[in-house]
Amino acid sequence: MKSSLALRTWAILWKDLLIELRTKQSFSAMVFFAALVLFLFGFAIGPDAATLSRLGGGLLWIAIAFTGMLSLGRTFQSEEVAGGLDGLRMYPGEIRAIYLGKLLTNFSMLVVLEVVLVPVAAVLLQLEPWDRFPLFVGITLLGTFGFSVVGTFYASLTQHLRARELMLPLLLFPALVPVFLGAVNGTTLALAGDPLDRIGGWIRLLIAFDIIFFVVCVWIFPLVLEE
Amino acid sequence: MSAGATERLAIRLENLSKRLGWTWALREIELEVERGSTVVLIGPNGAGKTTLLRLVATLLRPTSGTGEVLGFPLQGGADAIRRRVGLLSARGHLYGDLSALENLRFAAWMAGVGVDEAQLRAALTEVGLDHVSEQRAREFSSGMQKRLAFATLLMRPLDLVLLDEPYASLDSDGIRMVDDFVDGWKSRGGTVLLATHRRGLAVRKADRVTVLQAGRLLRFCTPEELEPADLDPQLVAPAR
Repeated sequence: MKSSLALRTWAILWKDLLIELRTKQSFSAMVFFAALVLFLFGFAIGPDAATLSRLGGGLLWIAIAFTGMLSLGRTFQSEEVAGGLDGLRMYPGEIRAIYLGKLLTNFSMLVVLEVVLVPVAAVLLQLEPWDRFPLFVGITLLGTFGFSVVGTFYASLTQHLRARELMLPLLLFPALVPVFLGAVNGTTLALAGDPLDRIGGWIRLLIAFDIIFFVVCVWIFPLVLEE
Repeated sequence: MSAGATERLAIRLENLSKRLGWTWALREIELEVERGSTVVLIGPNGAGKTTLLRLVATLLRPTSGTGEVLGFPLQGGADAIRRRVGLLSARGHLYGDLSALENLRFAAWMAGVGVDEAQLRAALTEVGLDHVSEQRAREFSSGMQKRLAFATLLMRPLDLVLLDEPYASLDSDGIRMVDDFVDGWKSRGGTVLLATHRRGLAVRKADRVTVLQAGRLLRFCTPEELEPADLDPQLVAPAR
């Protein structure tokens, strides 16, 4: 059997999710941290529905972004514990499978987090995403995918740095500005209404970002991993 | 390299050097390892043994010099080499939160080896771990983890295995297991390149011994030709 890209990608996703399912190292911390962020913001802003509605999208993405950093920082942790990335690199076949597997792991974890987080945010921040729910879900998934694409790539870049917990957000957040612009504005419009029909522009920005950075990151990943 | 030499040699390194940062980890290494032979690299910590194994495994690129592994060039032949070469690092690359069976399944998927559950269990039986197949690897002793790491190699159709400090932290049973693996691999016609600082143990299994010190190849000889100083456990790597 050929060591196909799909099989190797699946193997890494299966392995990482199985380890996470058993240890719950990342997910428990992510849920707790995200809920704490939302609670603190909700408490600070108070019960003013108009303000919460206006800021809700931004607050939700602050929680997702900060929590996502926890997930990204642990992207290669299971490999470190096992003795480094050499073990994965020694397998023959397409090395991009490592990136794709890790990307899908991070994306899956964030999506599961969002499934938990959105109802919590709806209660704490008095959000009402249900009216335009498909649009809200679509924008959230596009933003999450862009975040995961670039985040996984930068996690691989910084994995060997001693101060990677500091370096990862420093390098990553500037690169994610287009994602945050598109996701925050798109989510806010989906939540608060969009009488001027401006949401299409933000969706196009997210789609373009996701496609361009996905292609670039997949393309150049072997250069990052190989010496 | 001539076709005859390609047929005969598993590894050929020519004037190979490797610099890591500002330090020369290996200098002007010339080495030929015949197919089907067992060659042991000995030398103190920091001599360059692991670097040499990682170069042969294509995990590092040479700073200068050339080489071929199983007839494929080190530069440009990485994928072909990795299909035929297995590296067992000192830590074995196991996932502690996966069971023995799951570790094997993952290794088989990654290597593109089409094996079913029965074959995975057979590999575990071969290393004596069939009774703990569902147990997590983190609950294993060092020796059991080493056995499991060997099982990941046994599943693959490899021509050359690179063993980095396989005797580390093993008791007498574990040492015997490594010896049996090397014997078994050799009887199948496979080539073994084994790096260790436990010279006394390793040279018993060697067809040839390579002595490395401070990144240079001091000697390439039969075990009988080793000089007493080569077996001195107090030998330490001088500063480069």
